[in-house]
Amino acid sequence: MTLTYRRPMTSLRVAAAALALLLVTGAARSRAWADEEDDIQRQIDVQKSGVADLEHLDRQHAATSEIQRLRDWLGQAWDLRNKHEPDDAREVLERCVAQAELVRQVITAAQLKTQVADREAKLNSTKSETEKKKKALLDAQVRKRALEQPGGAQ
Amino acid sequence: MKTPSRSVRWLAAPPALLMWLGACATPPKPTALVSYEDLKRDPNMEDTRRRFPDLVGASDQYGDRATKEWQSNNLEDSTKAALLAEIKLKTALARDAQEQAKARLQALTTEQAKADETLSMVDKDLAAITEQVRLLDSNKKLSEQLAHDQQRATAEREKLSAQLATEEKRAAAQLSLRTADTVDANKYDPADYGAATSMLAKADAEIKQGNWAAAQASLDVAKQRADHATEVSKPSYEQAEQAQQNRARDEALKRDATSLPGVTVRPEQKGELQRLIIAVQDLFTRNQTALAPGKDGALDPIAQLVNKYPSYPVQIVGHTDNRGKVGELIALSQARAQAVFSALVAKGVDAKRLMVSGQGPNEPVADNRSPAGRAKNSRVEIIFLYH
Repeated sequence: MTLTYRRPMTSLRVAAAALALLLVTGAARSRAWADEEDDIQRQIDVQKSGVADLEHLDRQHAATSEIQRLRDWLGQAWDLRNKHEPDDAREVLERCVAQAELVRQVITAAQLKTQVADREAKLNSTKSETEKKKKALLDAQVRKRALEQPGGAQ
Repeated sequence: MKTPSRSVRWLAAPPALLMWLGACATPPKPTALVSYEDLKRDPNMEDTRRRFPDLVGASDQYGDRATKEWQSNNLEDSTKAALLAEIKLKTALARDAQEQAKARLQALTTEQAKADETLSMVDKDLAAITEQVRLLDSNKKLSEQLAHDQQRATAEREKLSAQLATEEKRAAAQLSLRTADTVDANKYDPADYGAATSMLAKADAEIKQGNWAAAQASLDVAKQRADHATEVSKPSYEQAEQAQQNRARDEALKRDATSLPGVTVRPEQKGELQRLIIAVQDLFTRNQTALAPGKDGALDPIAQLVNKYPSYPVQIVGHTDNRGKVGELIALSQARAQAVFSALVAKGVDAKRLMVSGQGPNEPVADNRSPAGRAKNSRVEIIFLYH
């Protein structure tokens, strides 16, 4: 085995520099993590406030289960964020964004379906009324003919 | 020679193989993947894929990744990918549903417009015909009401007419009956009079019942019977009435004659003829034919009496006593009667009513042997004749 002699002062300097670099790098990394968690938190908060709006919009309760699912996933994202697992949290948040879009589309579809149902009901009502009035018209024509006869029927 | 260690290795080989196969086998599909695959079997999927290729394509990619991860036994990543695949597919289906709903809404809008137009036309037609029917109905009701009113008015008029005619007939029958009463028909024709009375009573009962026709018939009969009774009774009644009047007049004449001064009044009957004889004496001096002076005034009451009863024929008959020749006495009596005639005519008596004769001594009323008797026999008689 070959022994290498190094001057003690030089080794100490290297060690100190390495330690300082490690501390700086660690501090910078810690700072980046904090920023990311804040960003995730902000996104979760935005999504949560969006959920309330979606619930308000969902008058037909067409997307109740999907909204609940969204809530669960937002809760899951929050847990992951608290566990300092930002990548997983972002993954879940990405799904939440898609789920929120789904909920909006489901609510819109339900609203449109309700409008269709209303219009169909109105159309049916109009048709029904038309049929009734056509029958009344026929009856009135018969009665008119009868009244126009000499002596007029009752 | 085989070593025991090799035998043991052979014996241990099958379980190890099984374990290796087990390790290589595909794990159960994650629930999310199953759910995604179920969703993919939606019958509208092909339409949705055509309408939203981006979303369905993204879903397919996530789905493929989920399947690969599952086949690689990476269940967590498979679940994550399957969830995203499901979300994308559901989103595509929801948007497809929106498009379909929008298309349906558009179709419904068109259909509603047509239906509204049809309803409007039917409404208009119905309103028009309803108004026509209402007017016709109203006219019909008015006509019926008018006809009913006319019918009622006619019936009322006919009733009033019948009532009036009946009243007229009743008045006529009553008048006939009263007329019959005036000729005492109940006495002279009791059968007809009784029938008329009973028919009138019957008619009154029929009038109370409103049976105008029967009442009119009864009244006609009543009038007919009453008229007949009048006709039958009238001559008898008139005769009786005349007789009564005559009697009354005769009585009045007698009373008036009796009240005359200086005369003798006596009734006398010759057959059916009645005579009221007023004998006036002392009008003439002996054998004279002219009225003695101052005697003319004695004839004034007689002239008044004759004029008061103008219907009586009056005879002026001169009488003498029996002193002298009969022929001369008759001539004397005639002359004296003529003188009285002239005096009465001069006092306003109608000459046509007066008949003059002289009986001479032929009808003495007293004994001619005494001067008083001769004085009585020498007289002029004013004779009222009646039946």
